[in-house]
Amino acid sequence: MNHIKVLLFATLRDRAGTKSMEIEIPDSTTVQGLKDQIARDYPNLKQAMETVLISINREYAFDEAVVPQNAEVAMFPPVSGG
Amino acid sequence: MQPSNFPTIFSITESELDLNDLLAKITLPSTGAAAIFTGMVRGETSRRGSTQAKRGEARETAFLEYEAYVPMAEAKMKQVADEIRERWPVVEGIAIVQRIGKLYPQTPTVLIACTAAHRDTGVFDAARYGIDRLKEIVPIWKKEVGPNGEFWVEGEYTPKPGE
Repeated sequence: MNHIKVLLFATLRDRAGTKSMEIEIPDSTTVQGLKDQIARDYPNLKQAMETVLISINREYAFDEAVVPQNAEVAMFPPVSGG
Repeated sequence: MQPSNFPTIFSITESELDLNDLLAKITLPSTGAAAIFTGMVRGETSRRGSTQAKRGEARETAFLEYEAYVPMAEAKMKQVADEIRERWPVVEGIAIVQRIGKLYPQTPTVLIACTAAHRDTGVFDAARYGIDRLKEIVPIWKKEVGPNGEFWVEGEYTPKPGE
């Protein structure tokens, strides 16, 4: 199993009620697999998983990417700085 | 000064933006022009598409609350600066700074500034590109708070692989 930290920002944090969570995922889980697992385990985040942006170790990551060991994952909505 | 030593400033800060100080940091002996963009909090927003909205139709904003994923945001600001240098090699200094926290109307929230030897070098376009890219790929979010409650402002851009 792979132990990862997931940081949540903006609407994702509000919905989850927490800034970060530590979760266990099977080895070789992809970003899509991670989203599926979170949608299943955290009902409040299920809808958000459809449009969420994901970064792994501070780079944008896409559905087919495999989540590396001990990754720092972040989940957030499309950005709105400026 | 060699291009490899040109100053590049990128940061997320909770402090007031000091526009003069930032400009001084990207001004070289060879600099003759600076394009400076700064965005600020609007206290009232007209209805979309209307240039003649009456006061009563405007949406009021008490303040905006900004947050950022700081280490990734600063890395992405560096990437935006690199993209500017790739497209406009004549640009000398670059500053990209976003203020976060609670920001009230008429307060500058962000600064993008590019300097060059002359104004006709593309320096205006470079600064414009910088703010456009910041709004696309730098992980910063804002929540608008006003008399009718609060809501998150969501962007529209989905980064592509390699961004």
